[in-house]
Amino acid sequence: MILQGFRRLREAGVLGMNVRNAEYIMACNARSAYPLVDNKVQTKRLAGKFGIPVPELHYVIENHGSISGLSEVLKDLREFVLKPARGSGGSGIILITDKTEKGFVTQSGKVVSTDDFNYHVSSILSGIYSLEGIEDVAIIEALLHPDPLLNSVTYEQGVPDVRVIVYRGVPVMAMVRLPTKASDGKANLHRGAIGAGIDVGSGMTMTAVYRSRIIEKHPDTGNPVSGIRLPQWDRLLLMAAGAMDMTGLGYLGADFVLDRDKGPVLLELNARPGLAIQMANRQGLRTRLIKTDDAPKEVFSSPASRVAWARENFGQVTNGSAA
Amino acid sequence: MRRPVSLLVVTLVLLTAAILFYRIIWLDYPVLPVAKGQAWQLLVNVYLTAEGEESTFTLGLPSEHTGKMVVEERVVSSAYTFNTQKNGPNRFGIWSKSGHNGPDEITYRAMIHAKPRRGVITQSPLLSPYPPAMGRDEWKVAETVARRWQALTPLARFNAVASVLKGSDPRVSRSGEAAFRQWNVVQGRHERTDAALTLLRASDLPARAVEGLQLVEGVQTKPMRWIEVWTGRTWNNLNAETGEIYPASEALLPLAVDGMPIARVTGAVLSDIRWTVSRQIVTEWKLLYERIARSAHFLDRWSLLQLPPEFQGTFRILLLVPIGALIISVMRNVIGFPTFGIFMPMLIALAFRSTGTVYGIAIFCGVLLVGFAMRSFLDKLHLLLVPRLSVILTLVIACFVVLALLGNKIGLREFMAVGLIPFVILTMTIERFFILVEESGVREAMLTSAGSVAVALVTYAIISWEPLQLTFFVYPELILVVAALQVLLGRYTGYRLSELIRFRSLGGAS
Repeated sequence: MILQGFRRLREAGVLGMNVRNAEYIMACNARSAYPLVDNKVQTKRLAGKFGIPVPELHYVIENHGSISGLSEVLKDLREFVLKPARGSGGSGIILITDKTEKGFVTQSGKVVSTDDFNYHVSSILSGIYSLEGIEDVAIIEALLHPDPLLNSVTYEQGVPDVRVIVYRGVPVMAMVRLPTKASDGKANLHRGAIGAGIDVGSGMTMTAVYRSRIIEKHPDTGNPVSGIRLPQWDRLLLMAAGAMDMTGLGYLGADFVLDRDKGPVLLELNARPGLAIQMANRQGLRTRLIKTDDAPKEVFSSPASRVAWARENFGQVTNGSAA
Repeated sequence: MRRPVSLLVVTLVLLTAAILFYRIIWLDYPVLPVAKGQAWQLLVNVYLTAEGEESTFTLGLPSEHTGKMVVEERVVSSAYTFNTQKNGPNRFGIWSKSGHNGPDEITYRAMIHAKPRRGVITQSPLLSPYPPAMGRDEWKVAETVARRWQALTPLARFNAVASVLKGSDPRVSRSGEAAFRQWNVVQGRHERTDAALTLLRASDLPARAVEGLQLVEGVQTKPMRWIEVWTGRTWNNLNAETGEIYPASEALLPLAVDGMPIARVTGAVLSDIRWTVSRQIVTEWKLLYERIARSAHFLDRWSLLQLPPEFQGTFRILLLVPIGALIISVMRNVIGFPTFGIFMPMLIALAFRSTGTVYGIAIFCGVLLVGFAMRSFLDKLHLLLVPRLSVILTLVIACFVVLALLGNKIGLREFMAVGLIPFVILTMTIERFFILVEESGVREAMLTSAGSVAVALVTYAIISWEPLQLTFFVYPELILVVAALQVLLGRYTGYRLSELIRFRSLGGAS
């Protein structure tokens, strides 16, 4: 029965954790490239060099001593985001949308006093939110404004993001993560956000999973999740494909936010992207990875050719057949 | 990628096989060092009070000449210095001390194993002289009596002597009845041992008086005395008082031979001496120990059995820890069961060794709960990482102190035996448990804890399984095979069992 289950997964082309680690992450991603994606300050710097838009970096707080000078720095900023440079899974991030007499107003309308804010910065510095608990730096960057296109399927002020898996520079699979009430406005699947598969060919949302259940409608807004065409899809895929040239990582996850004004903006890169995207797409990743390996050599010559090949081969809506 | 892995695995396995083969074929190691053998544990307790300036105490110790093997000896000598002395077939332990009057306790402990009779002396021992207590005319009587069985085999002569000692005429020939009656009178005048030795000497049978112990479980306060008689091949044991011949199966342990006293004391008063004999099941491994200790082979001299005994225990455990790590790899990469890292379950398993599993789990859960409550409270205080961990550490230690005091009051040793390792694990576990609850929910945290405890239990069962401990201790190269398995597992790229559930919506789709 177990072997049968394994066979079914293999036939469905599902990528398991062990294969992902051994044959893709360890084989394609050099250890030396990890700091480029694990540290958001470095990622931003690099993306700037390659002309990939990122949220504007306002300030980096490197030590506890500079916390006292924060109010001076933040004087002119009405809205911003505070996050740990080496954070994972979206923890430790605070979105500030306004300022009042009492302190900062967060995205969810809560007021954070200056003291509490400074304490949070100090927590970030001591490494509470960083990947291995080592000391970290806090960054203050521009707040993004999500494209209203996804408002119908987003819980209140949450910021949905688009995850693209890029293998050897080819965008092989994509999904959009939609915050729910259960996920507390955060776009993390294991916290209860919705993951909706995106057709790589057209940029159209497809099926969605919510807590490993297939759903049609957003549980909070009640609007249908599928059939939304994301804007500037080709540009987003080009940026994702370029992330390989930028970091040298052969297997990565690129996260984007669709900004109201700037279009797709690169939020962060991940050298160990999760496997949940397969559920959101109801498709195994392995099939697509193998297919990419079999692609003609000239496909890999430029980001544009890789994106074109991916849209042609992994598109579902246009040619109707599963890749 | 694959080829170097298989090459490494094959190399490791072959290397192990080669060493094993060499040890078993050339060095004659037992294939399974766990085969059981029977042995006797001898414990001698001596209580004496020194009175003179110089005091010595001499005790007959078991030696190896009688087909018995002394496997392990331990001596506790208090203020005395201890020496051993070989004296013919005897081996004596000599404790001596100068000054410091007062009572002392000396203990001697030995493990004695009956060795199959191999390499026994074939050369006949010399006839001993007549005992000094007997007069020349009395020898004559004995010789007259013995003349009747002069032509018989040594064994028959021995049987004849035994029956004379029993008081009955062996009737091997019709003549000499007068001499027999005369002998009975002589025999009545002397100690039975002297009489028996005289008659055996007259019968040309080498013999010697022995003091020793009967190997039956129990405490003996007086040594037993008997006579060993050489009948051409082996020593036979004869009870001089009754004339009874002990059957060969009777387990006797000679401690002092040739009329030497089993215990002698000068310059002190011997207030009590006790020999305690108990039956023990030992493994071949213990016997191997003795052999390896004397061996000159390279692998024997570099064997772990050469380590001082107090360190051996640690390595018996350490050699099995990689198996625990292997199990954790299986749990995580093949089954997909979450655990708190790799070290935590193993350290918990090590902690179980001193507390036992039931109390171990109870203590683990209890402290985790208290720690979790404390950690939730600390979260509100906004403490920095390192000071926060220090507070939890202090709390864990406080819990242990309270547990120990409680255990002392209600008489539960397990509560006091927590040792030093667990506090580190518990501190880390509390922190990680809390973060897991915060980030992934109570369910995930519970599952991870259950997984850790399950792995700890399995690991504990493995590291406390003695046969496996001994096997790995005698053949430490086996950990190379464990390493080979770990390498193989590192290349396992199949699905995890948990992924059957995780991806079930995908498995049925196509």
